[in-house]
Amino acid sequence: MRLRLALLASLVLAATGPAGAAPAVANNPATADPLLRPDPADWLTYAGGYQAQRHTALKQITTANVRTLQAKWIYNMADQKNLQATPIVADGVMYISQYNRIDALDARSGRLLWQYQRGPVALGAQRGTGIWNNRLFATTNDKHLVALDARTGGVLWDVAVAGGLQLAGQAPLVVNGKVIVSGNRPNGFIQAYDAQSGQHLWTWSPIPAKDEPAYATWGGQEPQGAPIWVSGSYDPELNLIYYGTGQPEPQWAGEGRAGDNLYSDSVVALNPDTGKLKWHFQFTPHDTHDYDALEAPVLVDAAWKGRPRKLMLQANRNGYYYILDRTNGEFLQATKFVSRVDWALAIDAKGRATPDPSKQPTVQGVTVCPSTAGATNWPSPTYDPALKMFYVVAQEGCGLNLRDTARNYAGTGYLESPKDSESWQLYTRALDALTGNVVWDYKQVRSPHYGPGLMSTAGGVVFSPEEFGQFTALAAKTGKVLWNFNTGSVITASPISYSVDGKQYVAIASGSNILSFGLPDGGGRR
Amino acid sequence: MRRLAAGLAAMGIALAAQAQPALQAPASNNPFAGDGAAIEQGRSLYNATCTTCHGANGAAGHIGPGLATPGRSYSRKTDAEIFGAIKLGIPGTAMPPHQGTLSDEQIWKIATYVKGLRGTAIDAPAAGDVSHGEQIFRGKGQCSVCHAIAGKGSVIGPDLSNIAAVRKTNSIIDALTKPGFRVYGPGGDQPLKLQPLPTYPVVRVTKADGRTVRGVLRNEDSFTLQMMGLDEKLYLLDRKTLKKVVYEPNSLMPADYHKRLSETEFADLLAFLTRQTNRPAAVPAEASSR
Repeated sequence: MRLRLALLASLVLAATGPAGAAPAVANNPATADPLLRPDPADWLTYAGGYQAQRHTALKQITTANVRTLQAKWIYNMADQKNLQATPIVADGVMYISQYNRIDALDARSGRLLWQYQRGPVALGAQRGTGIWNNRLFATTNDKHLVALDARTGGVLWDVAVAGGLQLAGQAPLVVNGKVIVSGNRPNGFIQAYDAQSGQHLWTWSPIPAKDEPAYATWGGQEPQGAPIWVSGSYDPELNLIYYGTGQPEPQWAGEGRAGDNLYSDSVVALNPDTGKLKWHFQFTPHDTHDYDALEAPVLVDAAWKGRPRKLMLQANRNGYYYILDRTNGEFLQATKFVSRVDWALAIDAKGRATPDPSKQPTVQGVTVCPSTAGATNWPSPTYDPALKMFYVVAQEGCGLNLRDTARNYAGTGYLESPKDSESWQLYTRALDALTGNVVWDYKQVRSPHYGPGLMSTAGGVVFSPEEFGQFTALAAKTGKVLWNFNTGSVITASPISYSVDGKQYVAIASGSNILSFGLPDGGGRR
Repeated sequence: MRRLAAGLAAMGIALAAQAQPALQAPASNNPFAGDGAAIEQGRSLYNATCTTCHGANGAAGHIGPGLATPGRSYSRKTDAEIFGAIKLGIPGTAMPPHQGTLSDEQIWKIATYVKGLRGTAIDAPAAGDVSHGEQIFRGKGQCSVCHAIAGKGSVIGPDLSNIAAVRKTNSIIDALTKPGFRVYGPGGDQPLKLQPLPTYPVVRVTKADGRTVRGVLRNEDSFTLQMMGLDEKLYLLDRKTLKKVVYEPNSLMPADYHKRLSETEFADLLAFLTRQTNRPAAVPAEASSR
């Protein structure tokens, strides 16, 4: 596969102009698309690559030398706070985003190159941008999508989102020259736009139309909800994008929507050219606990029971770690990755969960594990292909699930159980990717709430930021602490790694700042 | 102090006798907003009238719900809404109208008092002998063994110089009388700011040389631990240097003050505590003009 692509790419490269020039002809997905074979020196997408493994092939920083890591620069993003965004880096330039905003930095020094600020200055859960063919894609908070020239921040096109919808903070994912974006209101949706022209190509919704069989899974009620606000992954060979979907509405009150409520709390596989659904798998049928499936769908090729399979791994908010076949959604395995999971009576051989009816939210309050905050949440997991280990920020504890009154809708969520034995606690947890067994655990002391995400490196290090500012490096194999630095603010983002002039850096957003770390000068080899 | 209170109460009754005839609809403006004297009178009226159903200091009673308890949210929030509930009652509940038995002015005073209870303690300080309360704080109550006020006392526990501006009266009463009482944290909200610990957990650490230090945790993370020792020294520790860290289950705060102290002593201690706020130094009188 790779050889074929490389040959094709080199043939086309010979035909096109200097590297980096925008092709004059309509985009051909087979042309030298760096997104298909990313340079390890770059970090081109929210999740580091189409497989969403959040793993860098860079190995200059190792378990032996990471203890010497030092801060190289800090960038304060003016007018911003509580940054949730993952930066991307291409050719030594770092791009950090927010709604209505992208800043471009010299990734070696942190010095600002240009700044795009569309009015008004916005705060919020915007988690990144995407780059393709020297253009960046910015989501706005006024129902627009904007393409910028990555070299100058100049606007290339600015389109109103089709259907007058508001995009959520998902980092745009560029696939086959198409910008994939998504949103929540009035219900979940995924859209594709031509990256070159901004033309809207298709919209897909997890909310079924009246004539679809899935409509009948809502008990006769109008289907609502299933928001989509985290980037998905992409398999270029199968030509499928994988996205998680959110919870059905009304969230805490299920009595009016009898049935599985498709396609809420599912992973869906869509053809990115047409927007057609190829397959789906639902993790939590008839959910009343906000167990959305907006955790990263991580793509891994590995041997499963003796033969090579194309797998999809997801540590789900509902407390189970799932392994699916990503060609057709076939369920292979589900194991618990937190110690207490009691919302379901059982999961059968096809992966279908049966929710425990006694755990539905009540006016008096029901203790449910995991809590509505989830056994994990949107913060990113990471996969190490050499060790075949899956690392997730696991949240132990339970929640008190209440409904305000017996009215059909009102409710509250995200309440930590008041019992000390059920209080929330974060762990960086290493799983054997194929068995789901816990290999090691690292307790993030005094970190009760999800926020920070993970990254692994070919140097054998897992970077594991902690809620109140510690940026920590652990040995991927054993979980041993190797290095830490107090970044001074609440961290609610995931780290990246990139290389400039042969030197590896690791960067993280903390509070209003981006910090970048590297080995002492002279400490690294090419 | 007591004579003053009695005098004010007498004035209050005299004022009430001159009140307008009761209106049918509650007025929107509270004539006694922020009036300390009215709050005192409101308390007396509340204790005489409302404690049939509600608890003292706005706590829950055996029939009526708490009117100023920590953690509650209220449907009637404004002075006028509270006034209306007292005057006209709440149909469909056990709360009767009082417009026959209390004048509008009396009702406003009760409403002002209840509203004050919902602020912090300083908005409706408890009645009692304040200087006797201070004696108990520093003597029989043994409070200054752990707490300091205005620089006098110990630094082991939280400083109480501003306690009346930080906590409600009922929260202070709960701290003195309920074992394991704590003011709850955000309960599930995502923390967005760095803050010291809201609680005072007791911790016992064993250092590499085997010596132990016991004290109150002020903060910690995966690498460091900061505690105030029982010896009133601040210990700033690297976890790598510690052999063991034990988090004790119980607070150092005694919770039996309603048993250790007589009713009067408890009331006087409360009167003292509910008046503790950080006060700026008094501005010295102007020197004679040039």
